[in-house]
Amino acid sequence: MNTTRSLQDLIKPFRDWYKNRHSYAETWKENHSQQVIGMMCTYVPEEILYAAGMLPVRILGGHEPQDVTEAHIFGMFCPFSRDALAQGLKGKYSYVDSIVLSHSCLHFRQTFTSWKMHLPLKWSYYLPMPNQVQSPYAKQEFQSEVKKFKEFIEKEIGKTITAEALKQGTSLMDKNRSLLRKIYELRKKENPPITGADAVYMAVTSQFISKEDHNTALEALLEKANEFTPSRETGVRLMTIGSENDDVQFFEMVESLPATIVCDEQCAGSRYFWNPTIDAGDPIQTIANRYVDRPPCPTKDYPERKRFPHILNLAKEYGVQGVILMQEKFCDPHEADNPALKRFLEENGIPTLTLEFDSTNPLGPLKIRVEAFLETLSAEELFS
Amino acid sequence: MNSYPTEPLKCWGKAKEIRQKYYENYAKAHDQGGLRWSGSAWSFDALAAGLGKDVYPLTGEPYSASIAANPEFNTACQAAADEKGWARDLCSYMRTYWGSMYLNRYLWGGPFPKADFALQIQICCSHSKWYQVVAEHEKIPFFCIDVGVGPYQSLDEARLTYVVNQMQDAIVFLEKTTGRKFDDQLFIEAVENECRSTSLWAEVCALNKAVPAPLDEKTMYSLYVLATLHKASKEVADFYEELRDEVKDRIKRGIAACPHERCRLITDTQPPWSFLKIYRYLEGFGAVSIGSLYTFGLEGIFADQPDGSWGPRPTPSQLGIQIKTREQGLRILADWNLSKPQWQHFYDPDLKTKMILRIVKEWKVDGVILHLNRGCEGLSLGIMENRLGVAKAGIPVMTYEGNMADEREFDMKKTLTRIDTFMETLKLTRLEEKVF
Amino acid sequence: MVVAGMDLGAKAIKVVILSEKGVSAKVKLFPDLDMAQSARKALEEALVQSGTELHELKRIVATGTGRSAAPGKPALVTEPLADAKGIIALLPLTRTVIDVGAEEGRGVKITPQGEVVDFAVNEKCAAGSGAFMESMARSLELKIEDFGEISLKATQAVPMNAQCTVFAESEVVSLIHANTPKSDISRAVHDATASRIAAMTRRVGIEKEVALIGGVAYNPGFVEALKRTLSLETLLIPDHPDFIGALGAALIAYEQAVN
Repeated sequence: MNTTRSLQDLIKPFRDWYKNRHSYAETWKENHSQQVIGMMCTYVPEEILYAAGMLPVRILGGHEPQDVTEAHIFGMFCPFSRDALAQGLKGKYSYVDSIVLSHSCLHFRQTFTSWKMHLPLKWSYYLPMPNQVQSPYAKQEFQSEVKKFKEFIEKEIGKTITAEALKQGTSLMDKNRSLLRKIYELRKKENPPITGADAVYMAVTSQFISKEDHNTALEALLEKANEFTPSRETGVRLMTIGSENDDVQFFEMVESLPATIVCDEQCAGSRYFWNPTIDAGDPIQTIANRYVDRPPCPTKDYPERKRFPHILNLAKEYGVQGVILMQEKFCDPHEADNPALKRFLEENGIPTLTLEFDSTNPLGPLKIRVEAFLETLSAEELFS
Repeated sequence: MNSYPTEPLKCWGKAKEIRQKYYENYAKAHDQGGLRWSGSAWSFDALAAGLGKDVYPLTGEPYSASIAANPEFNTACQAAADEKGWARDLCSYMRTYWGSMYLNRYLWGGPFPKADFALQIQICCSHSKWYQVVAEHEKIPFFCIDVGVGPYQSLDEARLTYVVNQMQDAIVFLEKTTGRKFDDQLFIEAVENECRSTSLWAEVCALNKAVPAPLDEKTMYSLYVLATLHKASKEVADFYEELRDEVKDRIKRGIAACPHERCRLITDTQPPWSFLKIYRYLEGFGAVSIGSLYTFGLEGIFADQPDGSWGPRPTPSQLGIQIKTREQGLRILADWNLSKPQWQHFYDPDLKTKMILRIVKEWKVDGVILHLNRGCEGLSLGIMENRLGVAKAGIPVMTYEGNMADEREFDMKKTLTRIDTFMETLKLTRLEEKVF
Repeated sequence: MVVAGMDLGAKAIKVVILSEKGVSAKVKLFPDLDMAQSARKALEEALVQSGTELHELKRIVATGTGRSAAPGKPALVTEPLADAKGIIALLPLTRTVIDVGAEEGRGVKITPQGEVVDFAVNEKCAAGSGAFMESMARSLELKIEDFGEISLKATQAVPMNAQCTVFAESEVVSLIHANTPKSDISRAVHDATASRIAAMTRRVGIEKEVALIGGVAYNPGFVEALKRTLSLETLLIPDHPDFIGALGAALIAYEQAVN
């Protein structure tokens, strides 16, 4: 039996969703007659939205040239924030009824504010997610914010969100998280059956496809997981670290060299789903705690650096030989971490390559640099 | 052609002296067994004041702005930050401060005086990281307070409590770090001073509604800076009282900042500090920048006045509130700072556009110049929406690109050309042709 | 009464001589290193062409980045105002004028009287300028005159992914290596440049009619690309689009001389 082919069949839904995300959401809306909520940043407590029967979809960029945002967001801000706004202004997200931003960085806050100023919406909501998640008061504060958000949604839908519904929303989210963790487990294998590009398709689609559908597709794949033996060469085991960078073409290019991206620490990837909720009694507190405890966006990682040891653990667990630091151009949170992170990784024996990403990227120059990086890694092996 | 009488500010020398002494005090703090700390100009100055009268701050932004006015040193700082791998587009104040620290060079001579501790607040993507890196490099204790609880208009008990709780912990941190006992009375005095300083500065700014303006923005830069240095000190509060009285007197006597004022402008965000001559260039057209949301609202705490206009927020003591406990002082200090005008627009450019338009109306402004400041993510936030909002209201507006503390990103010639075009749209010609 | 308008651009000096009878001369000259001397030469040529003596000139108004080098102590105006005055005289329905020169692109919103309401200029970036297109044409080994024509023969829209000139050049090279037809690459370059210019102009708001001036207006490939990206059916283009700044300067000189 050609297992690789059947694996491709099982990955296909994710690829299709990635490409046809808007028609998926439009169809969902027709079938469910419920609001589709544009979610900005990965700190939005989606549990509340699922409990309310809504579909949260993460607002992402389109990775295509655009000329509609210069009047709204100054060019010193990250291309992602501009690309995502462009998608809105160009009407790609016309099915989105309302938007919610849970605070992480200032750049993307502008996508939210310009969106609410210039696009028709039922409502918009700003959730002040604490910056200082290490503060002993962050959980208490975020609990209060999540509670207010829940009450706001209740007013919107005109009914109470019961504790039972919250628990269902939470377990749906947790199930997705645990399934994605299992997918990532497969990548620890000596010859990972799942490529980094496959993982991007799966992790990113989980941010805008209904978790029910997404879980079903993940389960179908995992059921056959042990049968997979990859027909491709694994090559050098790499990890990507960055933000939203879901540049699948870049991942595919890297993995053709040959190399395999076996793990990531990105908000388009593992940062989004890594930790499940831990029951804290009160269902709102349970949800709030999960976001405070998750692997942080670099902008929230202070006074201590908790991100770095987490990254090092991942690198060790996944047998990573080299790290690609995907620096989104002008992204202050990552720029303020990367030089220190680079030093930290290299002190721990993990070579790094820093590449800068715009919303669209010429693959040629990137390929030359990745090839050179892979060569140095192989050379190190030769001499070690 | 207008020709108003003008004269230098009498208290100018004193402002200079306070600033000079401030930087000296910091450097020499250890000589007399005192303490020094560093943090942002947004940090809670009054908290550190509870440790004693010999505790001296070095606030990062004004320190870096001073370096920016010294191109040779600034270039060296930028190069030192580049060398450590920090991206050029990061906060240029932060990069400059780091550069000075890496070079171990203090702007006023000698080695960079290492702080005993860092006390910081988190407002943007840089502030916490700024002192995280400082703490790591200098190996000093670091405490940070998160004030990101949303705009003041939606402040509630839980949000205020989050900030106050962190301040309580900051006190524990300060005592533990320094081995000193926190003195509530000193702290309460400092809170009162801070409220007095920042309310008085707002009052001074409100006085600039007068035509002709008694102060121009370039002069205001040298005055508001004292609040960015040490707003909780009695000296700064007293200085602003003196300044307020002098400005009132200037208005009474019709003393103008610029003798040929015929067009009133406001700007936005920090200027490119080593190119303040653009303000003189504007004055060549009779155009005077009479302030900005930045010069007014970074340190001035404003509130609606009984007549509906914008002016100083009444201090607790003006409202008859006597601060009796630490808890009460903390709550007042948190609430006061969260009402800062310059903090509101971080959440929504619409709030800033409204404040800009309010200034345009009440301060009788003819045009707005927005500095697209590549050096500051926080204050440039939403600035293109501000541009749209101001233009939509029918107010002439121009933008120029630059960087408050990295002159590599500022093009003087192009900026002056742009100002020329803007002056053309305002139908202003150079005064030299007619006057001189 | 005879007046002169001069536009001292980054790459070319344009001179227009104007009298009550209309334009009597127009001269375009590529300056050498000595801008002042070249400007004098251009003015002299224009005077000869119009049969005017220097002392007959009532007034000179100069615009353009090199305007301070213009001879005869002229009055100076900036490019947006000169553009506005020039275009409104020829195409009075214009409300937005886009001027793409060698070094800079500009979007200017104007009144029916040719006054500047609002303007935007591209910032320190070559990717939205004539110089960028020339450099890309060189990479393709095409003459700049043919570059635009060839792009019209494109059969597909290839996106340019590079956002800056340095990378754009290497991207063009990769496209050539990938055997992408020159016509398609050419269109990609025109689309990318037009997109930059459109983005900048959107800052002031696109109000119809929209006119395109500057040397780039001669390039049919750029005109089509700009129309596409702005979703415009018509883009007004005056005769001699590279002389509009100089014409505007001459009109201002005339107005000032009369008053």
